[in-house]
Amino acid sequence: MAPNSVRQIATVAKYELLKYLRGRRLLAIVLLTIIVSAIFLIVPPAIGSQYPKDPTQFTLNVLSFLGILSILSATFFGADAIVSEYESKTGYFLFPNPIRKTAIFVGKFIASALVSVGAIALYYVIAVVSVRVIDGSIPANTGLSFAYSLVYLFAILAIAYLFSAIMRSSVYSLVLTFFTFFLILPIIDAVGSVAKFKPWFSITFANGISQYIFQNPYPTDKIFTTAAPGASGVGVQTYSLAQYYPDVRLSLIVMAVYFIVAFVLSIFLAQRREM
Amino acid sequence: MEPIVIEHLSKKYGQFVAVNDLSLTVELGVCVGYLGPNGAGKTTTIKVMTNLLRASSGKAYLNGVDVIHHPKAALDGVGAVVETPEFYPQLTPAECLSYVGTIRGMSGEAIAERSHAVLEQVKLLEVADKRTGQFSKGMKQRLAIAQALLHEPSILILDEPTAGLDPRGMVEVREIIKGLIKTDITILMSSHLLYEVQEVCDKVAIIDRGRLLTYDSVANLSSGHDITVTINTLEPITPPEFRAIKALHDITSVKRSETLALKVSFSGGPEAQFRVLRGILNTGVKVVSYTPQRAAIEDVYLHLVPEGEA
Repeated sequence: MAPNSVRQIATVAKYELLKYLRGRRLLAIVLLTIIVSAIFLIVPPAIGSQYPKDPTQFTLNVLSFLGILSILSATFFGADAIVSEYESKTGYFLFPNPIRKTAIFVGKFIASALVSVGAIALYYVIAVVSVRVIDGSIPANTGLSFAYSLVYLFAILAIAYLFSAIMRSSVYSLVLTFFTFFLILPIIDAVGSVAKFKPWFSITFANGISQYIFQNPYPTDKIFTTAAPGASGVGVQTYSLAQYYPDVRLSLIVMAVYFIVAFVLSIFLAQRREM
Repeated sequence: MEPIVIEHLSKKYGQFVAVNDLSLTVELGVCVGYLGPNGAGKTTTIKVMTNLLRASSGKAYLNGVDVIHHPKAALDGVGAVVETPEFYPQLTPAECLSYVGTIRGMSGEAIAERSHAVLEQVKLLEVADKRTGQFSKGMKQRLAIAQALLHEPSILILDEPTAGLDPRGMVEVREIIKGLIKTDITILMSSHLLYEVQEVCDKVAIIDRGRLLTYDSVANLSSGHDITVTINTLEPITPPEFRAIKALHDITSVKRSETLALKVSFSGGPEAQFRVLRGILNTGVKVVSYTPQRAAIEDVYLHLVPEGEA
């Protein structure tokens, strides 16, 4: 008799992890993390400049790849997790078994989350060890920053799974996931500065808390005004630009809502999807 | 309790009706060949029964459990091969079997023991620890059969199980299925190969445009349809010999197809086939070969399924 769903979820997660461990994507993410960290650690002394004296700034420099790493993790480990079962016909092997599709979905998500968390954790470990070795200290709020980055990671991973449950092609799902977080939402965030609206609803904007949490005091919204000559060289035209900072509590709520809605919706769609 | 019961099953894609009010009951221990032209609804029926598609209406029960509303419980004692499944290229056959075995709640020992047995059965034991990424279509089809047999199912649902196999592979898979028939397993097997169905199955269900046209035993369906055999001879048949053959009791028509060949049609089953052969030999014709032109079931199929659809 088929075991309960919890044991089946663990089984699916185990074999998904095995697939990731033997696949190229995890290796690529790990190599990328090490290479990017190495660039920040090796290049300054190599070109004769010094590391930032402020350990917080140094940590921020090393962690500047964090957003892209999260996006790549969500893309590599989430964007085709569901659609590939249909597209590559592996679903014909897995689905006609006594297991609920929800259990398959949750098992896959756990495996994706574990490898993604592993990649992010590796990045933080490299950053923390580096700053500890070079500066002898660890910036305050590093733990909080890590926690916030994981909240962001889970949210975009859930959205990647949603795309994967909707799309008919793995390539489209991968491209849509990557460009949504790498290009489309950052553009909306940037437009907010010019149009003077705070994009608090944007998940990429909300992710800023994992970096800004290092700053003490936490930065507040600013409006910059600059003057420039008028259109026909007569008079002075003033321009203003807003610099918005995500509110920590609101951003956590926004990311949590994205996670819950995307996760529930993708389970619903994956369950209804036909082979 | 009948192991497979389908009641008024329908599956629609917009306006297109793939399966139309289909009802079919398969008795315990029977092997049923599920036949029909391309697009008839065979694979759709099988997909509904294996939780790959949702039915638009109707019911399907496997071992008495409603597969549409309780697929996990219904598929517990079922092994299935649907189309030619792909396997995760990072996993080996042994790992694939361990994966589905664990999902099915088999113990580690049982998985190891059964994996060895089924991989040996489908002749994949030598590559049990090689990753499936480089496997041919035939090897994947064998592995699919292995995973369907792993847990010793009481119901086996096979969607064109010999598709993609070379001639030797086809014979071997047929032998595996024949071996299973000796047990009390119930098999529903779709196929385009009518010889295969006639050779392996006890009963035949023929569907077209989603509707069941007939469901009966191979013997019952075959009776009442003429059998045509091609007879090759060592020497040309003389006119008296030709007349003598034509006068034989069961014969309905005789045509000379080549100098050393005749096409003889007659009604009846295997006994008539034997009588005709004996009668022809008694006329003094030197018979070299005596070959049924096509499977009896093929006549039934061609009679039921209109031209242009097969």
